[in-house]
Amino acid sequence: MDKLWVVIKREYLERVRSKWFIFTTIFGPVFFALITILPGYMTVKTMKNQQVSAILILDATTTGLGHKVADRLAKNADSAAVRALSGRSGSQSATGMSAAIPSEVQDVNPPQLARAESLATKAVMEKVSEGYLVLDSATIAKHTARYSGRNASAVGQVELIQEAIRQSLVGMRLEAAGMNAARIDSLVRVRVSLSSDRLDERGRGDSGLVSLIFGFIIAFMLYMMIMLYGQNVMRGVLEEKMTRVAEVVMASVKPDILLAGKILGVGAVGLTQQIVWFGSAAAFITYGAVMAKAMGAPEMKNFAFPTVSPLLFLSLMLFFVLGYILYSSMFAAVGAMVGSQEEVQQAAQPVVLLLVASIIFVQPILLNPSGTLAVAMSVIPFTAPVIMPLRMTAVQVPPLELAGSMVGLAITCWVTIWAAARIYRVGLLMTGKRPNLKELARWIRHA
Amino acid sequence: MTELALDIRGISKSYGEFNAVRSLSLAVPKGAVYGLLGPNGAGKTTTIRMILNIIAPDDGTIMVLGRPNTDSAILDRIGYLPEERGLYKKMQVRRVLRFLAQLKGLGAKEADRRIEDWMERLSLKTPEKDWGLSKIDELSRGMQQKVQFIGTLLHDPDLVILDEPFSGLDPINAQALKDTVVDLKKRGKSVIFSTHLMDNAERLCDSVCIIAHGDKVLDGTVAGVKAEHGGNNVALAVAGDGAELVKRVLSDHQMVERVDDSNRFFEISLQKDADPQQLLRRLIEAGASITRFELVQPSLHQIFLEKVGATGVEVGMTGHG
Repeated sequence: MDKLWVVIKREYLERVRSKWFIFTTIFGPVFFALITILPGYMTVKTMKNQQVSAILILDATTTGLGHKVADRLAKNADSAAVRALSGRSGSQSATGMSAAIPSEVQDVNPPQLARAESLATKAVMEKVSEGYLVLDSATIAKHTARYSGRNASAVGQVELIQEAIRQSLVGMRLEAAGMNAARIDSLVRVRVSLSSDRLDERGRGDSGLVSLIFGFIIAFMLYMMIMLYGQNVMRGVLEEKMTRVAEVVMASVKPDILLAGKILGVGAVGLTQQIVWFGSAAAFITYGAVMAKAMGAPEMKNFAFPTVSPLLFLSLMLFFVLGYILYSSMFAAVGAMVGSQEEVQQAAQPVVLLLVASIIFVQPILLNPSGTLAVAMSVIPFTAPVIMPLRMTAVQVPPLELAGSMVGLAITCWVTIWAAARIYRVGLLMTGKRPNLKELARWIRHA
Repeated sequence: MTELALDIRGISKSYGEFNAVRSLSLAVPKGAVYGLLGPNGAGKTTTIRMILNIIAPDDGTIMVLGRPNTDSAILDRIGYLPEERGLYKKMQVRRVLRFLAQLKGLGAKEADRRIEDWMERLSLKTPEKDWGLSKIDELSRGMQQKVQFIGTLLHDPDLVILDEPFSGLDPINAQALKDTVVDLKKRGKSVIFSTHLMDNAERLCDSVCIIAHGDKVLDGTVAGVKAEHGGNNVALAVAGDGAELVKRVLSDHQMVERVDDSNRFFEISLQKDADPQQLLRRLIEAGASITRFELVQPSLHQIFLEKVGATGVEVGMTGHG
């Protein structure tokens, strides 16, 4: 036991002292913030760009609907741009914002529509205009319209056009019913923002969106930590094998103790880093608002840190620990198998793929956290360490499923450690060719 | 019966079809310097790893200092210098040494005291420069070897096992190593080292064991082994272009059984009934200028060649030593 402690201490201290650790501990959150916030920021930015892009409206309705739609587009675009940037719903005026370029409207005789369309298509193809909208008798009768353009797949753009047409159609009907124009404008411009709340057995929970983001961050963190520190173990094993320190150390302690010490020591480094990160995040959330207010910044009412129950916290830790042990022992076996830095990346691929499988499915699982895919992947031991915590933040996981997942993971862990330790024991002293599966099986049997 | 530092009985180890060690038995008395000799791939490293319980023998028992080697406490009394040396490259010298000492059960304080001692003794710490604060990979190869050597002896082991200790050593470190082995013996410690360099073994060892292809070829005290193989041996040295002149005489197989030709120096085994005086006459007749002609005991090198043969040297399996 004393020797295990000596090994753990070395693994821990050597890493915590390294520049690499200090760097990632400080800049990890910055990097993490960048990769989570940047995509959102980019979306908003491109949406704003789309607002101001003008389109051509081919109006074959002979009712003047085209001009109404163009007006709406211009009005809505301004307020949408403001909304997108401030992240709030509402219809503030767009003073100071770059005004939208008004869309061009072309009144077309219904028989000439086909010809006008082919001209418009050509214009779009020659990049003269961004896209064109066709309004015809079907728009009035069946509420259908067609849009063709370079940005037809952009959800924001299409939604805006759709909304403008809807408002214009409603406006036209109200006008026909004798409503005055000013009233119509204020009536049709009602925007609904839907906020969803998560309910659990304790009653009202956090807002659905916050827990969604929280779940995603947790899953991604778990994935990153397991990947980073698992590979860290692998590199450590490879270093000991290649520099031949392994033999000196194994003359003093059993390889199992060396392996255990390495996994525990590196795991402790990971936990230290997480404590620093979460600790500073909690401090920032608790005191950051106070500090910001003291400095004169507006209060952030929309932001609420999700509450984490002790049970959830405990399960998160347990899944992290088990997942880390599972993957790091596999990575350690890989490190002991190969003989060079060049080989190790390739040899580690099967293990990496197992882990990547869980992060690939994060999005579909977030969208349907109680679906078959979600349940299956939260029970399969190799994906459970990432997927189960993700589900737990999104829905109430039945206790039986949770227990089954944990027991399955623990058993798999045990079997993996057993096999990995045997591969490790033989592999550390081997030189030369990487073993194939058959030889690997022999190592495990005869170690 | 004297107490044994190492008592190996009938150990075998095979890797698949390959027999690394076959039914080997050894007895090393306490306080002896013992040489494990053999060509590359003879099974020396495998044997040493089994002694250290790094790998388990398929068969047989190993007792170290009177206890089975599976007893983990006994490992703390062994110091081991592996053939292929290495240390944590990015780690500070002092921390590496403290780590190695603690792995052998030494307390941190005692370890630090001894580290300072050793570093001064091997001039890794001088008034100008304290290499203990440097990282391993900032040290020269020679200095790294010193550090490794300190790591082997820091816990003052009763049994020291050195695997090919002279390979890659510069003359100064080689001399320091020899001095240390002699010093260890004086202090009643037992030393086992493997080598394929017979000269070193002959000078340092009390007893030797020669193994080849995983089999023991012979063992015993150096004096005993030599006496046993003491036949009709002549050491011959010539000056000038005498080498060419004597070669014809030495190729007469009626008189000469075997010659180890080192160009200007020859170690000659005569046939059992051949007369050395007659050889001397014929050499003078050939016109060679002889600077040395001496009846000698065979060197370990000679015995080794005779016993193992040229084939044993060539066939070597890497990886299993």
